[in-house]
Amino acid sequence: MIGAQSRLPATLKASPQLAVGAAALLGWVLLLALSGLLQTHDPQLGDLAKRFSPAGTAGHLLGTDNLGRDLWSRVLSGLPWSVGVATVSCTLALLLGGTLGMLAAQFRGWPRTAVNQLVDATLSFPGLVAAIIIVTVAGRGFWPLSITLGLLSWPVFARVVYAESLRLLAQDYITAARVMAVSTPRILAGHLLPGLRPVLAVVFTFHFADMLVAESALSFLGLGAPLGVPTWGALLQESRDFLIVAPWLMVVPATAIALLVVSIYLLGDGLSALDRTER
Amino acid sequence: MMFSSLVQRAVRLLILLLGVNALLFVALGLAGDPALMLAGEDPTPELLESIRAQYGLDLPAWRRYLVQLGSMAQLDFGVSIYTGQPALAMALEQLPGTLLMAVLSMGLTLITAIPAGVWIGQRPEAASRRFGAALTAVAQGIPGFVMALVLIQVFVVRLGWLPSLGYSQPAAWILPSISLGFFLAPKLCRVVSAGVAEAMQEDYIRTARANGASMRFILWREALPAALPAAVALIGTQFAFLVSGVVLIETLFLWPGIGLLLLHSAQNLDFPVLQAICFVVAVLVFAVNSLADALLRLLDPRLKPAIR
Repeated sequence: MIGAQSRLPATLKASPQLAVGAAALLGWVLLLALSGLLQTHDPQLGDLAKRFSPAGTAGHLLGTDNLGRDLWSRVLSGLPWSVGVATVSCTLALLLGGTLGMLAAQFRGWPRTAVNQLVDATLSFPGLVAAIIIVTVAGRGFWPLSITLGLLSWPVFARVVYAESLRLLAQDYITAARVMAVSTPRILAGHLLPGLRPVLAVVFTFHFADMLVAESALSFLGLGAPLGVPTWGALLQESRDFLIVAPWLMVVPATAIALLVVSIYLLGDGLSALDRTER
Repeated sequence: MMFSSLVQRAVRLLILLLGVNALLFVALGLAGDPALMLAGEDPTPELLESIRAQYGLDLPAWRRYLVQLGSMAQLDFGVSIYTGQPALAMALEQLPGTLLMAVLSMGLTLITAIPAGVWIGQRPEAASRRFGAALTAVAQGIPGFVMALVLIQVFVVRLGWLPSLGYSQPAAWILPSISLGFFLAPKLCRVVSAGVAEAMQEDYIRTARANGASMRFILWREALPAALPAAVALIGTQFAFLVSGVVLIETLFLWPGIGLLLLHSAQNLDFPVLQAICFVVAVLVFAVNSLADALLRLLDPRLKPAIR
């Protein structure tokens, strides 16, 4: 990870993806923070006289939709919801997967077998298939969706944390702590966990992007965001009825998703390159 | 060794199926009274009673669960609440469409990602290859279903070159396969290029180059085989993800397959069909993973069992 301040320039030079990704992400964070201020129109309120204004129309930079609602404002107002779902589901997956992965590495025998079998079984089932079924029953909405995605994706963290913990637990500094009779919980929390941070940062970054994609895919299928929340997946779903008359309704949210995910992936690539060089 | 790994996988499949089954059973309980859904509008109490008796809904939950497990063990998933047809037959009927798309897009993925990966991996530091690597990094970030929408906009709506729906004519196969290819091809390309780049640094390849072996020979007969195990392992582990992609792409192109059936059955809360779909999907992934595993052992001599 980025440690001392003085190392920062050298770090960014060694990993250009990290620099580009971090800069792009900073832009996204600004957009997210100022999302309310930057909206030029009420995202839900349409002006039927101006329906289907193409992108570039004066006053409607990215055009308007079938009800004359401003697309720029709608794209901005959908962002917090999607980022919120990704944050909650990723954090849940991190906590569950991280804990179980560490426990499986520390305790041989049945805990290890149980966790590994559960991880392999879950990963061998298509997540979207499970998510579609659960969300149909649990209903649309922020919490059902976030919790479903988190509960389905913790094995991603568990697998990486397990492998990395095995490596770290065999190292001298942990053995030294054991010899000094440090208790197992303290070894896991105080000695193992700090060592896991670089790997966790990489996996969290990639997983965050994957959760954004999963949310937009489910919203696109009409199973994610509730009606009226213009997440990008929902905007893409709406755009399908107007592919011929209003292609910008599809192009704008599609570009937004691609740009956001690519920026996060670049950051993840940079972080993992950094992790490799520091090893 | 190979046999025992197959047994391990089978045990995992069994755990998975039991888990999915339990989950669906709980979900069915939460989804509301199925008898009410079946009875239509304004049911009389007698009608509800007879429906409950017919489907065994009057039994306690644990007995219903055991009954269900028992019939599932005989591959009997019941009949669709919606159409009345056997659920497993409905799921299997959709399988050819899904397999056709999976095979087409996998073929497309292999014939694009492997040469591209070899090309980038040959001299990863060259400017053109760095550009190619950056392109795959960007492509990896574009969600497959978003790419599909863009392709539809360009080739169906604007240019009018291709049909967008169904799979009756081969021309309609092109866009779905390309879109689905986007779920795996960039990742595969990166794995192949990393493997080839690593192999190019090895002593045996330097020796071959010093001895005057042609670049083509070195790349395809020496470097690529070294990169293949990682590529096969990736395809194995990512196949479940690819099936997720199939669901999205089928919905987008109204392609008659398992994904479309899944979405419709979920919307109708048709639990017997959902059970059957989960079973078929889990077995499919199991088969592909086992195949990848076997292929891996064939490709990588280090994984072969020692001769006793």
